[in-house]
Amino acid sequence: MSDLALAPLAAAAPSKSRWRVMRAVAAKEWLELFRDRRLLWLCAFVVALMLGALAFGYVENARILSEREAAARADREIWVGQSAKNPHAAAHFGQYAFKPLSPLALADPGVDAYVGSAVWLEAHRQNETQFKQARDGGVGARLGSLSLAFILQTIAPLIVILMGFASFSGERESGTLKQLLSVGARPRDILAGKALALIGAIFALLAPAFIGAALALLFFVDRERLSLFDQFIRLGALGAAYVAYLAGFAFLALGVSALARNSRAALVALLAFWLANSFLAPRLATDAARAFAPVPTLLEFRAGVVQDKAKTFGHDETHPGFIAFRDATLKKYGVARIEDLPVNFRGLALRQDDHAGYAIFDRHFGALQSTFDRQDALRAAPGVLFPLLALRPLSMAFAGVDSRSQFDFATSAEAHRRDIQNEVSDNIIHFAHDNTYVAGPELWRKIAAFAYRAPGAGFALGYSLLPVAALVGWLALAAVFALFAARRLRPV
Amino acid sequence: MSSSFLAGARFEARMMRRDGAVWFALLILAGVALFALAMGTARIAAQQAAIAAARADETQRLSKLQKTLAQLQQGDAQGKPAPEPPPFRDPRNAAFMGGGPAATVAALAPAPLGLVATGQSDLLPPAVRVTTGSKDSFLFADEIDNPANLMSGATDLAFVVVFVYPLVVLAMAFNLLAGEREQGTLGMTLASARRPSASLAGKLAARVAAPIAAMLLAVAAGVWIFAGWERFATPGFAALLFVVLLYGLFWAALAAAVDGLGRGSAFNALTLIGAWVAITMILPAAINSIAAFAHPAPSRIEMVLAARAASTDADKSRDAALARYADEHGGGKPASAAGAQEATLRRLATQEAAFQRVEAIVAEHDAQLARQRDMADRLGYLSPAYLTYAAMADIAGSGEARYRAFLDRIRAFHLDWREFFLSRAKAGASLTAQDYAAMPKFTQADEELVGRPPAGLAGPLIGVALPMLLLAAFGLRGYRRAAPR
Repeated sequence: MSDLALAPLAAAAPSKSRWRVMRAVAAKEWLELFRDRRLLWLCAFVVALMLGALAFGYVENARILSEREAAARADREIWVGQSAKNPHAAAHFGQYAFKPLSPLALADPGVDAYVGSAVWLEAHRQNETQFKQARDGGVGARLGSLSLAFILQTIAPLIVILMGFASFSGERESGTLKQLLSVGARPRDILAGKALALIGAIFALLAPAFIGAALALLFFVDRERLSLFDQFIRLGALGAAYVAYLAGFAFLALGVSALARNSRAALVALLAFWLANSFLAPRLATDAARAFAPVPTLLEFRAGVVQDKAKTFGHDETHPGFIAFRDATLKKYGVARIEDLPVNFRGLALRQDDHAGYAIFDRHFGALQSTFDRQDALRAAPGVLFPLLALRPLSMAFAGVDSRSQFDFATSAEAHRRDIQNEVSDNIIHFAHDNTYVAGPELWRKIAAFAYRAPGAGFALGYSLLPVAALVGWLALAAVFALFAARRLRPV
Repeated sequence: MSSSFLAGARFEARMMRRDGAVWFALLILAGVALFALAMGTARIAAQQAAIAAARADETQRLSKLQKTLAQLQQGDAQGKPAPEPPPFRDPRNAAFMGGGPAATVAALAPAPLGLVATGQSDLLPPAVRVTTGSKDSFLFADEIDNPANLMSGATDLAFVVVFVYPLVVLAMAFNLLAGEREQGTLGMTLASARRPSASLAGKLAARVAAPIAAMLLAVAAGVWIFAGWERFATPGFAALLFVVLLYGLFWAALAAAVDGLGRGSAFNALTLIGAWVAITMILPAAINSIAAFAHPAPSRIEMVLAARAASTDADKSRDAALARYADEHGGGKPASAAGAQEATLRRLATQEAAFQRVEAIVAEHDAQLARQRDMADRLGYLSPAYLTYAAMADIAGSGEARYRAFLDRIRAFHLDWREFFLSRAKAGASLTAQDYAAMPKFTQADEELVGRPPAGLAGPLIGVALPMLLLAAFGLRGYRRAAPR
């Protein structure tokens, strides 16, 4: 027999009694959840699905990681294995920078399949990353693949809805709500007890997945390259975000259940919201983001860069910019002819042109990323009402697989390209005496291999303030809605 | 058709006409379908604009080159030669021009019913700039898009049909028996009909006919409004209507089969929602993951590295050849070694080496991807949603079949293009105005593909029809055994 049945509660129940009510309601809800075999089987299935998705993620990530590491080694060998040639010709041959996979991509692959994995670092131009994995996936692949994030974002809320839709309406239909209220239990305390039970169930649902992810991280993280502590902070943030997301669904389910005519109506309303949140909102928000913050086409983007680059001289010795630079250099060194310069003029010209190009690339690629950021902000803003829109960018950011992480990688790769350009130009400036100058493997070896260090969890948080605010807003809104519904609770 | 069936259908239709919720659901469904088709129209317009821009760019580049060529020729003819341009800007230089400045556009214009499904069209650019380089240098250029947009997917008709439409069909049909039993009217319904099961089937037909008809009408109206009535004459349009009809019938049959078990409305609702989640979400995701696990997609990076390794090998081998020449000819450099022709030959040798290696690797990769897709296609028979989605993409011309055909055509054209420029470059011949006029052109794949019925739909259609028939038979059996309590 529950504590509730022992004695009626006083009208103004002390906090200790209210806590007893909450505990008793939570215990009763837990018991019912455990007694519902269908729900138990469903939860077991979802947990198995999550663990299976983690295993798939682990295997896939290990494969991709080893592939990219092998590619980086092979490209290094190709680079240092070049025959003797002019250093600028080697800069044209360039290097490839490969994006190392974020360990938490095993839980949330994010946009990884939709961004290139490698970028060619060649002379004179900053390239976009190439080779999107999604291109090779076929049409069916657009229906998604199993990942922990996919299950937690779309299927877990459904489980929470199924656990909670009849919380109040079911009790009303069976007459127990009337009994409960008649012994003096306050609706708010009943709500708190039921919410406690549901949130406990959410923790129980998430725990195996997050313990599995933590164990996978222990094996997966390359501790020379990444901080395990940072990865655990990221995992903790992911856990908090998913708990907030699902807890919001728990409050929503309780609120709708309290207000609905009957359980069926509650279920229909909650399923409609789930459908809108999981399927319609992400697509409609994307359509809106595209319309309000359009991105240029590749042709337009490249034409813009070419237009600005035309103002620099490149290899064109008749360009006014080239002539002006030549004259300024001769004046600076106090000589009348290029041949009399103590350094190689071609190297100086290359360096000058490269530096002019860097500003142009920074402007164009920065503007493109700003457009992506505006689109992401537009998509995340309705996250207060449709929480998947807030959760998804947050999850991707902390998993290190969002477009900002990609931009950080691309920026780092571009910095390495500039190091290569500067190194080869300096070599030409100081060692080339004529146009037949060639450098050998010692220069290729001197130029370091690209090594990317992904930023820490603070970076992810810094670019996720809007989604964080939207997700907190969602949780608060859902809790307030549940409280409002509890105040209007009808016993029959 | 028996009178019981018709009577049941007529009665149910009358009931539905008076139910505001039914009208609301049907209007929402039709509205979403029309919105998706409108979005598809915008997407098609963007693709057409991208192709037009790529072609305009090509025209501009070529006219500029031809103008420079005419100036150079005129200067030579007048005995006042113009300043020699660098080889990469020289319109006479076949080795450089075919590799970029004169590159031609190979385009895949949207198919007549392209507005129906995004398919692969947001990932694979509609226009490719074909050069004499190896495929890795031009075939994998991507259109710019926010990766988060690509991940979210587009609102297209395929999405509405696969995900939203079944929910409306299920909402109409999930509790025909259970609802009547719970209201206490089932006994009367069974008693008043000469053939109770036919009467129940008639009621079910009326319930599912409404969303199916609404969807078919919305599709037809949307195609007419956004693409023009002439699209009705394309074989793809008939196939589209058939796919939509069959998919709706599958969900109706599933609802009847579950309802026929004789359990309550709540059981039916939960079971059908579970089935919907499994068929539209979990199974397709699992199919993709299993196929990717069994036949991992090859790394395109491998292709690039092979091309680079081939270039450095060719470079080294060219150096070795020159060194041998120097040894055999008393240490002197060959006459051409320092000249432009040596640079051209070196460029051609590295390009050729990269081309050969990339061709071999692309063929290997394609074979591996084909294995992955074959497996996914076979497993796809587990999910009618997967089959329907792929069928709609094929009808829209944004599926794998059309892109494979496009890539095959590019492969053949690439060989012609290389032959045209490289034969001249190897012979040391300059490009002339006649050569510019005679450059190979990529024939418009869209013109050939317009009106062609989408191939390979029979398998997916049978894959949806067979389970539908089995479920319908199971559902009918349940209706025959229906009891008031």
